[in-house]
Amino acid sequence: MDTLVAQYTQPPFSHEGYTQDEQEDYAESIPPLSLKFALPPVDRPAQFLRAMTDDHSNPDCPIKIAHGTTTLAFRFKGGIIVATDSRATAGNWIASQTVKKVIEINPMLLGTMAGGAADCQYWLAYLGIQCRLHELRHKRRISVAAASKILANLVYSYKGMGLSMGTMITGVTPQEGPALYYIDSDGTRLAGNLFCVGSGQTFAYGVLDALYKYDLEDDEALELGKRSILAAQHRDAYSGGYINLYHVKEDGWVKHGFMDSNPIFWETKLEKGEFSNVTSHL
Amino acid sequence: MASLMHYASLHSENPAYSFSEASTIPHSEASAGPRQHAFYPYTDNGGSTLGITGETFAILAGDTRSTSGYNINTRYEPKVFRIGDDDSSPIVLSVVGFAADGKALKERLDTIVKMYKYQHGKPMSVKACAQRLSTILYQKRFFPYYVHAILGGLDEEGKGALYSYDPVGSYEREQCRAAGAAASLIMPFLDNQVNFKNQYVPGSGEGLSLKEKPREPLPLDAVVGIVKDAFTSATERHIEVGDGLQMILITKDGIKEMFTPLKRD
Amino acid sequence: MPGFDFSNHTRNAALHARGVPLPKATSTGTTIVGCIYNNGVVIAADTRATSGPIVADKNCEKLHYISPNIWCAGAGTAADTEFTTALISSNLELHSLSTNRQPRVVTVMTMLKQHLFRYQGHIGAYLVVAGVDPTGVGLFTVHAHGSTDKLPYVTMGSGSLAAMAVFESTWKKDCTRDEAVKFCSEAILAGIFNDLGSGSNVDVCVIDKDKPTQLMRNYIKPNERSKKERNYKFQKGTTAVLDQKIITREEIGRYVTVHEIAGSDSDSGSLVVVEKMDVDDQP
Repeated sequence: MDTLVAQYTQPPFSHEGYTQDEQEDYAESIPPLSLKFALPPVDRPAQFLRAMTDDHSNPDCPIKIAHGTTTLAFRFKGGIIVATDSRATAGNWIASQTVKKVIEINPMLLGTMAGGAADCQYWLAYLGIQCRLHELRHKRRISVAAASKILANLVYSYKGMGLSMGTMITGVTPQEGPALYYIDSDGTRLAGNLFCVGSGQTFAYGVLDALYKYDLEDDEALELGKRSILAAQHRDAYSGGYINLYHVKEDGWVKHGFMDSNPIFWETKLEKGEFSNVTSHL
Repeated sequence: MASLMHYASLHSENPAYSFSEASTIPHSEASAGPRQHAFYPYTDNGGSTLGITGETFAILAGDTRSTSGYNINTRYEPKVFRIGDDDSSPIVLSVVGFAADGKALKERLDTIVKMYKYQHGKPMSVKACAQRLSTILYQKRFFPYYVHAILGGLDEEGKGALYSYDPVGSYEREQCRAAGAAASLIMPFLDNQVNFKNQYVPGSGEGLSLKEKPREPLPLDAVVGIVKDAFTSATERHIEVGDGLQMILITKDGIKEMFTPLKRD
Repeated sequence: MPGFDFSNHTRNAALHARGVPLPKATSTGTTIVGCIYNNGVVIAADTRATSGPIVADKNCEKLHYISPNIWCAGAGTAADTEFTTALISSNLELHSLSTNRQPRVVTVMTMLKQHLFRYQGHIGAYLVVAGVDPTGVGLFTVHAHGSTDKLPYVTMGSGSLAAMAVFESTWKKDCTRDEAVKFCSEAILAGIFNDLGSGSNVDVCVIDKDKPTQLMRNYIKPNERSKKERNYKFQKGTTAVLDQKIITREEIGRYVTVHEIAGSDSDSGSLVVVEKMDVDDQP
């Protein structure tokens, strides 16, 4: 009976084009991090999304989502180096040369961004919230392992829906020391010493694997991170712009600049004699 | 073999999509089941928008032509909107792409910004509005708004602020941005004229020591000139741009709207 | 006729099947019209050439010469209209020399339709053929697949509906030369302003029974570009240079023949202008 009454006594505003959920969205002062995502009214939403947005399988798709990237992170004696490029592409179009692909989750944790730019920005911000809630609930900082697992479980729950991200979570905690995890939208989660992610990963690995050793000094490690990104930017059309460099230590991360790669390239070539494949004389 | 395939996706060059590798072709007739009519809810309504910031102002502009195919729907359909109607914290949104999605997005953000003021007793800052717009776009991650949005206003220090978005909510604060049909024509011009990309100081050195032309915030009249030239030039070479130019200027004194006619062919 | 070279066809079809996009042909997404009057015929065209949504040429010529008294307006793939009309013009000249007669409009129309039908629409030429000959006034449309029409007023191209709307509302039987020019140019203007594929200026060609043909290039220019707000002259030395090398006249003379043009060795102000390009003037 009650349900019958309720059915016919809905307030009039509920029929004014907004659903109950939307009404709540507007009335609530907090943005809904409730993970209620709108879905297209079709049998298979993922296939629809792919037809509309996947420029890899369909270069003529109407909605081009910004993509990346070359990102790298490696552990060494002095902590962890994180370095990225700064280019975002949508199809063949360079959407931006100034993207911040290192996401500062909190003063101790860093995340990197490869794949869909929005996916990475949104879910790493979400991770930041979860990490803070963990701190408030348990009165201690979350471990990198736990933080990375939150993200891995999250993306796994969306598997098949079309998320696209390849990210690295780094940080230093007393119980773990410097820790580095790779998570991607397939649900993969790997702990490791050295990762490169993105369309320029092979080029970055080429330099990094050749010159990497655990006992690098801080300045050597920073230079290696920078040089690896430079190599990737040189050979990968989808990477470029600036070099974003971070050093993660026990007492948090330190930023080492957001540097224009063009003068760095010419400096590396003309003063150190590298990149001799590039001609500079007529 | 299947497991090998799986490993391949793990370390492939691109972070793999988590789509299953199913064929995009609708399953064969034999597998029966009702076939759905192709669902295509988007139209490209053409047009272009751009935004530039200065030291104490931000400007957002868009042409007013709305097209579908080779037809002109109307010669006056604004693409730049005021958000929140609050003079103490002026916010302006421009949307280009699918006009219906753009309008829905604008209405949504507008109500949210107004509700914020009623609930908090203070206007929403541009920074907060920018973050909120990102989450609104991402809420439709699996059924995106077909729009490229630019949000403009003044930040806490009174400096011009500009945020640009991709269709699913990735965003960034920038000095200038062009969006829409003629973005590829206007953006390189803006890079050169606003951020002085590829410009060096003549005679400042040889080879590597040649100094880049330093970036400095442009005065208002220069920016208005750049905006007008960008649109008259885009009108010359892009068929979907024209009819009228709507500009909204945001300063500490509030919002000023300007309109200039463009070529109508 | 020598015919087309199909040696890349199979390769291109295979590439296309693998998702390689075909190169975009410049199309004259166009408004073209024609209208007869009491002593001749008028044809007109806009001057915009497009490649997708981009304007490839702001002032192209879509009125093609066939013979002194027969002209053709072309829509569709730019290259196809250009070469098809040139081919027919050439063949027509030979035909009229061997028959010792004035060329006829029906002959042109028949040659065009037979040529286009043979290629089953792959030659993307959509044409309005107009002219006067000993039999009288002729006005036809020819579609890429080979079909033709004979009408007192015709329109073609993406702006054909806008242009036809003007004819249908204003056209009068047995009009004068000036009226026909007005109908045609108004029809083109409707296309220019209401069809995105058409734009810029109006070209008109008047073919009269008793007077020489008049081609009025840019008869109406309703879309002149306004003056730019700012000056875009860069100071010398703004562009970074890696290296420079000066090649002297003596050196280059080893590979090519150098001709002195009068006035070239004085200051640059008195350079000999071989061909002037239509570019925007710097303020």
